[in-house]
Amino acid sequence: MIKIEHLYKSFGEVKVLKDISIEYRQGVCNMIIGASGSGKTVLLKTIIGLMEPDSGTVTFNGQDISGLPYAEKKRFRQHIGVLFQNSALFDFATVIENVMFPMDFFTDWSRSEKIKRAKYCLERVNVVGSEKKYPGELSGGMQKRVGIARAIALNPKYLICDEPNSGLDPETSILIDQLIHGLTREFGMTTIINTHDMNSILEIGDNIGFLHQGRMLWQGDRHSIFDTECSELHKFICANSLARNIMESR
Amino acid sequence: MLKKFFIETGRYFLFLRIVFKKPEKWKIFWKQFFIEADKLIVSSVVLVAVISLFIGGVLVIQTASNMSNPFLDRMLVGYMVRESLILEFCSTMVALILAGKIGSNIASELGSMRISDQIDAIEMMGVNSASFLVLPKVLSVTVLSPLLVLLSFYLGLLGGWIVVETTSIIPAAKYLSGLKYSFSEYYVFYSCFKMAFFSFMISTISAYKGFYAAGGALGVGRSSTKSIVISCILILMFDLIITQLMLY
Ligand SMILES: Nc1ncnc2c1ncn2[C@@H]1O[C@H](COP(=O)(O)OP(=O)(O)O)[C@@H](O)[C@H]1O
Ligand SMILES: [Mg+2]
Repeated sequence: MIKIEHLYKSFGEVKVLKDISIEYRQGVCNMIIGASGSGKTVLLKTIIGLMEPDSGTVTFNGQDISGLPYAEKKRFRQHIGVLFQNSALFDFATVIENVMFPMDFFTDWSRSEKIKRAKYCLERVNVVGSEKKYPGELSGGMQKRVGIARAIALNPKYLICDEPNSGLDPETSILIDQLIHGLTREFGMTTIINTHDMNSILEIGDNIGFLHQGRMLWQGDRHSIFDTECSELHKFICANSLARNIMESR
Repeated sequence: MLKKFFIETGRYFLFLRIVFKKPEKWKIFWKQFFIEADKLIVSSVVLVAVISLFIGGVLVIQTASNMSNPFLDRMLVGYMVRESLILEFCSTMVALILAGKIGSNIASELGSMRISDQIDAIEMMGVNSASFLVLPKVLSVTVLSPLLVLLSFYLGLLGGWIVVETTSIIPAAKYLSGLKYSFSEYYVFYSCFKMAFFSFMISTISAYKGFYAAGGALGVGRSSTKSIVISCILILMFDLIITQLMLY
């Protein structure tokens, strides 16, 4: 469980996050939704400690990691798998080396054990036969999948995905959503997904927080989203024509 | 302006403190060390070799034409070429060239990793990204660059000899005896030390600039250019300081 309390973050004069408080449960797909520039990436990076909040706390199962010394922070981070917005695969390594990278550091496995585990992870995300390719030779969707495989390589307790399906075609997009959803259930991870894709929201949004100009204006799940009273969220939903039709037919 | 200078300097030393942490695994460190040595030093060999050969040749012609006085022994041409090479060219000039080549390589590599979140990805795995990425570069460049000085010295003298052999500027025997005249090993040490020092500066400054690059591809280019400019200025400043300390 990840608990956020009264989180504030600004860059100079610009206040990006304002008083965010929310809880993320284990084993479900928690979502942060909102328009571009609403502060989703900043919120995720603050949660995982890549950015320091101005005030407020983030606790992982009751433990506040922001105050930890660097060595312990590093140890804790091994339990967090992250998929970055643009995949952030290492250009200097092949697909399979990317997935093996965390294993090289944190396990004493033999090379064949590492390869076996990496192949298993790649199979889970449906990337087969591209082990020797470099990230630059892959399509965007493939890169995201390899990114997921790398994130789950060491069975993390927490999975953080920044826009896992932006820039993908609808079909691949759904596949990736279902993949993340399935892995979350199977391994009991606490997953936070950051998206503005209405499809994903309706497909796998178990616990949704709507971010608008740095404020968390609404919280609920994919079933209650159409009953919202929040006019900003209403606008956000109606930007998608299918969702608008559902909204109007209710 | 002055405030910015002090902030940057402070951040640079804080950065060095993170870089010089014990590597997570020595095996991975050594693997990276040899990869970087190949990428940064071995790949500079041809460039340094070509430049040294030509400069050696040019120095012979220039020195000879400046010493047309018949009272000066022609042997002194060889002597002076040797001294110019080892004292200044093989370390400082080669360092300035490497500042361009190695500096831009390091800054742009780290910069592009920064803006595409690869550095954050390493950090989020629980790995000290600065130490993993930067330490092998700094150490391999600092430890191995003196070999480039020796190479450059040797090839510079060779370049001079080729000119002497193929033209009739001075007798070849005079050139060779000049090369041996009153040779001081201390100068070789001085030159190698200077080079190691400059290489440390080049690699840490460009790594610092690249590591904290911001502002997209444009920002990467900017940090790369800046690191070269800063390195070059500091090389010349420290050339003066080190020379004063070591030779006088
Ligand atoms: N490193 C930064 N420095 C200054 N401003 C930033 C930085 N990162 C993000 N911002 C600002 O924060 C706001 C939210 O950005 P972001 O979280 O990336 O939005 P999104 O919801 O699209 O992920 C934007 O207005 C952006 O300009
Ligand atoms: Mg974003």
